[in-house]
Amino acid sequence: MSSADKKVAVVSGGAGGIGAAVVSRLAQADFIPIILDKDEAAGREVLAELGRQEGRGLCIALDATKKSDVQRAFDRVLADYRRVDVLVNLAGGALYAKLIQDFALHEWREVIDVNLKSTFLCCQAVFPIMKARRQGAIINTASNYAVTGSASRTAYSAAKAGIIAFTKSLAAELAPYGVRANVIAPGRTATPRVMGNYDAAGWAAASSQIPMGRTAEPAEIAEGVAFLAGDESLYMTGQTLHVNGGMVMP
Amino acid sequence: MNRLDGRVAIITGAGQGIGKAIALGMAREGAAMVIAEINGGNAQEVQSELQESGQRALAVPTDVSREESVLAMVERCLKEFGRIDILVNNAGIYPVSPVEEMAEEEWNRVIGTNLIGTFLCSKAVVPRLLEQRWGRIINMTSGRAFQGAKDGAHYAASKAGIIGFTKALALELALCGVTVNAICPGVTDTAQPRGHRTEEELYGMAARIPLGRIGQVDDLVGPAIFLASDAAGFVTGQTVLVNGGAIMW
Repeated sequence: MSSADKKVAVVSGGAGGIGAAVVSRLAQADFIPIILDKDEAAGREVLAELGRQEGRGLCIALDATKKSDVQRAFDRVLADYRRVDVLVNLAGGALYAKLIQDFALHEWREVIDVNLKSTFLCCQAVFPIMKARRQGAIINTASNYAVTGSASRTAYSAAKAGIIAFTKSLAAELAPYGVRANVIAPGRTATPRVMGNYDAAGWAAASSQIPMGRTAEPAEIAEGVAFLAGDESLYMTGQTLHVNGGMVMP
Repeated sequence: MNRLDGRVAIITGAGQGIGKAIALGMAREGAAMVIAEINGGNAQEVQSELQESGQRALAVPTDVSREESVLAMVERCLKEFGRIDILVNNAGIYPVSPVEEMAEEEWNRVIGTNLIGTFLCSKAVVPRLLEQRWGRIINMTSGRAFQGAKDGAHYAASKAGIIGFTKALALELALCGVTVNAICPGVTDTAQPRGHRTEEELYGMAARIPLGRIGQVDDLVGPAIFLASDAAGFVTGQTVLVNGGAIMW
């Protein structure tokens, strides 16, 4: 079987905590995983742990906020694999915890860019590929904060709410081509990066605020992504799936 | 391995339409099925269909709006299968009349079946779900909950009520391994919308749906299985809209 017969999933931010779980879950669902990440070494490690050799997985280093980088990455994917079936945009992060009066404009813009602009650029780059094949699923990532907001996270909350509205608009544009776009909205998730923001007592307190009494495991977010990526959600587009233990019920 | 092996599921209104499709789908994933359905003939047919393909099924004629009927149904389920893991509150009715002319009896019937029926069935299974510290309740709502329904104020109210009920029950059961979620279908190719739309109107609605077609019952099966499975263990209090993009929430 040539590689053109295999389904391909591109995961932007695939080297991160949730990203690695998503890459692993999609590989299990028979996708060739392609990681786009600024941290190439971490991305390669994720693939190595899955036993993915060259040709059955790929990591491309990029700055997802730069159009030329993103375009170059998708050109490479297209050249090597001829198709993209699934795009998951996980790159991003809150970056800063600052009240608005302390938030410098360049910092605020950086948060918008790494979350919202990177999502836009990757979706824009994959659009013609999925449109030509008249199939595909895009999964963008929001957050509880898209709905609730959060003091000291004005930029992140705005970016994540923006991702939801962006995805609805994109879903309407893609629907005539049979391509779907949905959002996964993880609640507080036990990744090293998130846990690094808390001491042990703070983490326990943060977990107990969640109705289910615990935080999400990255694998649980990955299950939601796999659902939105697969045929079981074929009639869903423009929607947001919240995986948060009941923390936010919009 | 199937995702619902060893599970026992009660699906209300499973004699036809969306409920039947979910029952067949969950049975394929290994769950034993209780067909809780007011139309005994339809329930029997679904039972036979499942049994002929080697699956465990039990038809129980049930009026979800009557507590004694619901309790008897749950008793029969326990007697036959010994447990309950999954409840899908799908039974619903959608008669049509403007508020000005709406008979109190019709209001009571719609709220009684759609909303109170959901409450009664949930209440009846909750003790079992708590005991085993694992359970899934899936409530069927409607786009009318978000957008209202001309000549269907009772239906819209009942379906919006189901969303509020879903969130509240999700909070009550969150620490106990039981999730409660809602599925919101768009207009679906079943008998129900034909009660108040012509064929032409029904299929004509595709033009206003981004994915370009009205829903088929099988579109709801994957989302229902996902929510019922272990994969969705951290999803609770949510409404999953499966509507081709007709409403984006």
